[in-house]
Formats: sequence, C-alpha cells, structure tokens
Amino acid sequence: MSRILLVVPVLIAAACIASCGGAPGAADTGRPRITTTTGMIADAARNVGGDLVEVRELMGPGVDPHLYKATQGDLRRLRESDLILYNGLHLEGRMGETLEQMARRTRVVQVTDTIPEARLRRPLDMEGQYDPHVWFDVSLWRLVVERIRDALIEMDPAHREVYARNATAYLDDLDELHAYCLRRIAEIPEGRRVLITAHDAFGYFGRAYGIEILGVQGVSTAAEYGLQDITRLVDLIVSRRVKAVFVESSVPPRSIHALIEGARAKGHEVRLGGELYSDALGPAGAPEGTYAGMVRHNVDTIVEALT
Amino acid sequence: MADAFWIILVGALAASACGVIGCFLVLRRQAMMGDAISHGVLPGIVIAFVMTGSRNIAPMFLAAGAMGLLTAFLTDVLARRGRLQSDAAMGVTFTWLFAVGVILVTRYADAVDLDVECVLYGEILFTPFNRFEWGGFDLGPKAVWTTGAALAANAVFLTLGYPKLKLCTFDPGLAAALGVRVALWHYLLMAFTSMTTVACFESVGAVLVVAMLIAPANTAYLLTDRLSIMLAIAAVVGVISAVSGYLLAYQLDGAIAAGMTVTSGALFALAALFSPRHGVVTRAWRRVRVKTPG
Repeated sequence: MSRILLVVPVLIAAACIASCGGAPGAADTGRPRITTTTGMIADAARNVGGDLVEVRELMGPGVDPHLYKATQGDLRRLRESDLILYNGLHLEGRMGETLEQMARRTRVVQVTDTIPEARLRRPLDMEGQYDPHVWFDVSLWRLVVERIRDALIEMDPAHREVYARNATAYLDDLDELHAYCLRRIAEIPEGRRVLITAHDAFGYFGRAYGIEILGVQGVSTAAEYGLQDITRLVDLIVSRRVKAVFVESSVPPRSIHALIEGARAKGHEVRLGGELYSDALGPAGAPEGTYAGMVRHNVDTIVEALT
Repeated sequence: MADAFWIILVGALAASACGVIGCFLVLRRQAMMGDAISHGVLPGIVIAFVMTGSRNIAPMFLAAGAMGLLTAFLTDVLARRGRLQSDAAMGVTFTWLFAVGVILVTRYADAVDLDVECVLYGEILFTPFNRFEWGGFDLGPKAVWTTGAALAANAVFLTLGYPKLKLCTFDPGLAAALGVRVALWHYLLMAFTSMTTVACFESVGAVLVVAMLIAPANTAYLLTDRLSIMLAIAAVVGVISAVSGYLLAYQLDGAIAAGMTVTSGALFALAALFSPRHGVVTRAWRRVRVKTPG
C-alpha cells in the first residue's frame, strides 16, 4: 500500500516539469499589457491607451460573466499583466475576491470604485449590495473611463499627456452618446416607455434615460423566473399594449418567448423587438463590438421597436 | 511552473480527500451524495446572505457545511424511517432543498446576484492568487491549506475508525449485534463527507468534487476486493486524474476542473475494460482462452 502511495510525489514533479517547458507566451512587444474582465472595460482601456498599450479581455463577445470559466491561458494573461482592470460590485463573482487579493502584489484596479455610492443602485436596499451593470448609464461610465485614465497614467507616467489627450477625446464622444440616448428615448411616446427583457440588467439605463424596466428574472442570470413573474408581465403587456419585448445576447431567450406566447393567448400581438447587448459586447469588428456601438445598437433597437 | 505546481497540488489533495471518502459512499450506494450536497446547500447560502447582508465567503462556508449535513441527515432519515431506497431518498432530499433555495432566492434576494456558483464555488485555476496570510507572513495558497486540512482530517478519521466503518459498511446487522453504534458511525461519515465536499467546493468548484467522490472510488472498486487497498488506489487514481487532467487542460487551453474530470472518467473506462478480474475485455479474453484448447 505504501508503495502505491509513493507514486504521488513523483507524478506531481513530472507534471510540473512537463508543463514548464516551452510555454507558448505572447510575443513581447514591450508595450504595457492590460488585462480586463469584461469587453466594455477593455474597449475603454483601448480608447484611452491607444497604440501605447496592449489590451486583452478575459470574457469575450457573448460571454455571460456569471457563466465564465477561466482557462490556463487566462491565468498566464493575468500573470503577465502590468495592469488588471475589473468591474467589481460582485459582477465577477468570487473572481472579484481573487482580484482584490492580487491587488497587494500586482497593479489591480476596480474601475467602479470612484463612483459615488449615492449614484449606485441598491435594488435590495442593503448595505454594500449594488447593481453592477453601471455601463448602461453613459454618464456613470464616464467616471469609469476617468478612473481608467488615471490608472494608466499611474502605470506609465511617461505617457501622461497621450493618455490624458485620448481620454478627453473619448469622454467628449461619451457625452455626445449620452445626449444621443436621452434624445432617442424621448422619441418614444411617454406611455410606451417600458422595456421588457430577460433579466434586470438595465436598471441604470432606465434610471438615466427615463424608461421603465421590467425583467422576467432578477439580476442573477442563474435565478429561475417565477410563474407569477410571467403572468404579471403578460397582463401588463396586454393592458398597456406594449409593442415589443427584447432578448439579450448573453441570456437564453426562453422566458421572453413565454411572454410572447402568453400575450398572444390573450389576443395581444407583442413582437420580438430584437436582441440587446447586456453583459457582453458584440463580435469584434462589428459596430456592436465597441462600447459606444453597443449602446447605440441597444437604443436604436429599443426606439425602433417601441415607436 | 510554480503556478502549475500549486494547481496540481490542490487538485491532487482535493481528489484524494474526496477519493477516500468516496470509497465508503460507493460501497454504501450513496455515490451521488456529492451532487446532492452541491444542490442542497443553496438554502443555506440564501439564509446566510439574508442574515449577514453580505456575500463574504466565511458565513457562506459555515451555512453550506450545515446544509450539507442536513442533506445527508434527511437522506438517511428518509431511507431508514421512510423505507426508501437510498438513491430515491437522496433524490427527494436534494431536489426539495434546492427548490426551497430557489424560492428563497426569488423571494428575498431576487435583485442581487446570488447563487452557489458565484458565492461559494471556487476556481482551481486561481489557486496561486488566493494566498493564506497570517501575521504578515505569506503561507502559500489558501486552497492548499483547505484541501490539505480536509485530506488530513479524513486520513485521521478513516485510520482511527477503520475497523468500525468497515463493519458498518459491509454488515450493519452484524455491527449492531457486536455493539457498534451504527448510527453514530454513519453520521460521523456523513459529517466528514459534508465537510470534505464543502471545503473542496470552496477551493476547486463543484464539478470536480462530484466527479472525484465517484470516479476514483469506482475505478478502485474494479481493481481490488480489499477495502484498504481500495482506499489507497482511489487516492492514487485521484492524483493521477489531477495531474493528467491538468496537462490535458494545459494542452487544450481549457478549464482545469473539466480536464481533471475528463481524465478521471477516462481512467475509470480503462479500469472497466481491462481490470484483471472485472474488466470487459479481460473477461472476454479469458472466455476465448477457455474455449480454444491449448
């Protein structure tokens, strides 16, 4: 029996040696490497850093942060980063704790940490439990971009001016985007300003742009939707003659189809307004692959379907 | 290199801690206990959240441990008092507890992100980053301590209780006649199962734990008819799964827990085919040899 157990240390040593040889490391370009959790943060970092930095996100297009599974390559990326940016507010689940711990050794920044507490949504009215989907209010995301700018300057002070200049230009774009959202949503007749989606990711969006948000399930994409949720929403769709409901790129559309069927059974035709991006960006290269493009796509889709 | 060492070590510690406990679960027809506990802990998570108002790991851990024990306890009550088969008892218990948890989530914590996946289950990949620090000293990854403590506790428990556990597992009637407190040993085993499961959930995630409670023990079951050898083989198979699974995940750039689970299944398949006494291929080969006169 003890001879069987002797195999153990030998095996572990062999595996470590096997996996250390020839790690396919990224080509070293000499530029500071930034790793972010979500695509939204990566996009902001690219806009501020420009060509001076190399930005990689862990959660690619269409990846629900709740269902993200880290791979060996992600570990290496985190190890080789000069700066790690994450959303925080529990968006990354237990990975957030890990990143918080890493802050003692590596430069790790929670990009939402400068947002005043008063401006964060507290859906449960509990101390410290905030809605993490801040990117849907462009005026809040502005603060995040400023935070990223400061983090980049702190990491690489030699290029302070470039980062500041890039950030200023991008912030101007965001101000314009904010105004665009306000203007477009206002085009929807007032009684029809209601956005029905699969999960409550659009709380900040609703608050910032004056549209009522109703979700089938709670903030967690893992929570099941209740029967009453569906019935209540169907009644509301029928009584307010809501024209369209929406699916989200990173959440299965099952519950939304239940709504459409339910309303049809009651003689009201509600259609699928289209796909909204919620927790992840669209594919790289497409207009929705950037933060601004995603926000624009969402707003245009909502306005077209509801007016 | 150092990262790989810590990840493999944690995988190996968790796999052998689960492997040895798993042997008893397999022999007692309770192999799915790990899966049952992984679902049964949900109400505990919600209650801990509502009571403490935070998603910190410490209260979650304690609540999950208590719920794990309750899952095992209810299963046993249903199986013995309710005269259900143990798999049926387990099925009823954990689906019920999980459903209670879902109702509690939708009722009290709908608006926050609260599920076992994001407040309890750990990710083995992040082992090297989560350090255990004490008095300003860095004592290595926390998961090494958690899974190591689980393995050590199991080793001590199984060594001291070995004769009694063996008797209770194979012949509870005889054990009772000999004056062994069968129920006490059962609950001790369940307590250690719950402790091991939750500790490993916190360090390596759920899939790996459920797999390591079943696959290495079953592989060992096919390779030997002696309990002591079975325990040793299960531990070693667990370690081999962890090591080869890491290498597999490394080659494919995949999730590590999944890699380890896949290799543990592959090892079981090998044992099922080629085990000297019970293997499908070996038995067919023996039949061929018997038929053809040499």
